[in-house]
Amino acid sequence: MNKKPVILLVLDILSLVFLAVAAYLALSYAPMEATMGNVQKVFYFHVANAWVGMLGFISAGVAGIAYLRSGNPKWDIVEVAAVEISLVFFLIAILLGSIWARPAWNTWWTWEPRLTTAAITEMIYLAYFMLRNGIEDPNRRARFSAVYTLVGAVSVPITFMAIRLFRTIHPVVIGSQSAQAQGGFNMSPDMEVAFFFSLFTFTIIFADLFWHRIRLGNLANKTEELKLKVME
Amino acid sequence: MSISPETTNYMIAGYAVFFLVFTFYIVSLVVRWSNLRRDMHILEDLEIDNKS
Amino acid sequence: MAEKQAPVAKSSNFIKAVFAIAWKDLAAELRSRELLSAMLVFGMLVILIFNFALKLDAKTRITATSGILWVTFTFAGTLGLNRSMAVEKDRGCLDGLLLAPVDRSSIYFGKLLSNLAFMFIVEAIVLPLYSLLYNVNLFNPGLLLVILLGSVGYIAIGTLLSAMAVQTRTRDVMLPILLFPVIIPVVVAAVEASGGYLQGMDISELRYWINLLLVYDVIFIAIAFMVFDYVVEE
Repeated sequence: MNKKPVILLVLDILSLVFLAVAAYLALSYAPMEATMGNVQKVFYFHVANAWVGMLGFISAGVAGIAYLRSGNPKWDIVEVAAVEISLVFFLIAILLGSIWARPAWNTWWTWEPRLTTAAITEMIYLAYFMLRNGIEDPNRRARFSAVYTLVGAVSVPITFMAIRLFRTIHPVVIGSQSAQAQGGFNMSPDMEVAFFFSLFTFTIIFADLFWHRIRLGNLANKTEELKLKVME
Repeated sequence: MSISPETTNYMIAGYAVFFLVFTFYIVSLVVRWSNLRRDMHILEDLEIDNKS
Repeated sequence: MAEKQAPVAKSSNFIKAVFAIAWKDLAAELRSRELLSAMLVFGMLVILIFNFALKLDAKTRITATSGILWVTFTFAGTLGLNRSMAVEKDRGCLDGLLLAPVDRSSIYFGKLLSNLAFMFIVEAIVLPLYSLLYNVNLFNPGLLLVILLGSVGYIAIGTLLSAMAVQTRTRDVMLPILLFPVIIPVVVAAVEASGGYLQGMDISELRYWINLLLVYDVIFIAIAFMVFDYVVEE
């Protein structure tokens, strides 16, 4: 397992090349949006990072359920990997959202449903890691974190609905009434190219990082086992 | 048509933040990986010593 | 052994076990009263602090009351949940319960009932006290319904998470950290709906919030019922 698979190497290279192309498309190829100026270009990576966060969130939920059903420790490793990646990418998405909101709405933070839900999801992830840190027995740690992942996976969509019901001021970008919402805009075909390419790129990056993180988890487990063996 | 606001600095800040956090995460993965590999080697050596 | 019994006997056993566990908690509490008194004093202190923190004049009171009530219930509830599970763990009751020939989920429902009872007692004292202190009429059937639904959702997930929290190293701080991010829908819906009822809004405007609370209650009771085994398994 220590030997790096060729497909993973290919994914690494693809991720880097595509990331460069996506950055070029977003920064240079896509036209400037007239009402917001250049800051609108943050949008391409903002959405793509949030998308990776979503993929991680869903993967974590699936892994949690798989662990509870099978009891196979492999799923625990997958779950931690998914949670960690989702934590990092939701953080980037929130930061980029703030940087975009500052010139567009004249505030660093809007209590917009998606942004707020992402922030609450981050809180759940932090709680998740604190829970893991507080338990020594690996079996119990895996069980409790799978249970908490499941609880989080179910509560986050409900939270989103509750907050959306509470208030909504975020622009709807894709859809007919997009230009009506304040700060919303219509995407030109050039913008769509940059947008969908960055979504595609970040999906590849997600797969790549996910794989790497799972390998890291496997190695950590092996090291732990060996440590116990040597201690005896 | 009105003149677009000058928000290039925010755009640069946005992409800088992305690349910063992204690089930081990858470095953390690499560091953790190499630390584990080192531990693994030490443990393997210890195990061989124990047996002999 | 339980598998061999007829289904009817099994389900009546289940209900008996649930009530036995709930009754055990309530009887112990009637004797010591340490949990309820702690929750009540804490709840009153929260209200007292809010009085000075928010300068509750007649105008602010109208909008702030529902928020203050739910913050009070949430914090006092955490105190109660934590204590009620910690007592089980410390006195070794949990191990005894696990050895008993009853379905594990009956432990969950038993604890759910007793925690809910404590919560209702605290609410039944805090509400009239708040009415008295601030001259707000809180005896509104709609508000009581919201408090009922909100408390059920809060306790349903709180009982599950407190069973996890007491088994961790940092158990005293773990419960609020685990619980608060996942009960935000309950808090949002309960605060909105209570505020609406207090301001005499029409039921049709608040229907969505009530539905949200109902959905949350049903989903989380079901989930906790399904996964409680994994939380108490040794």
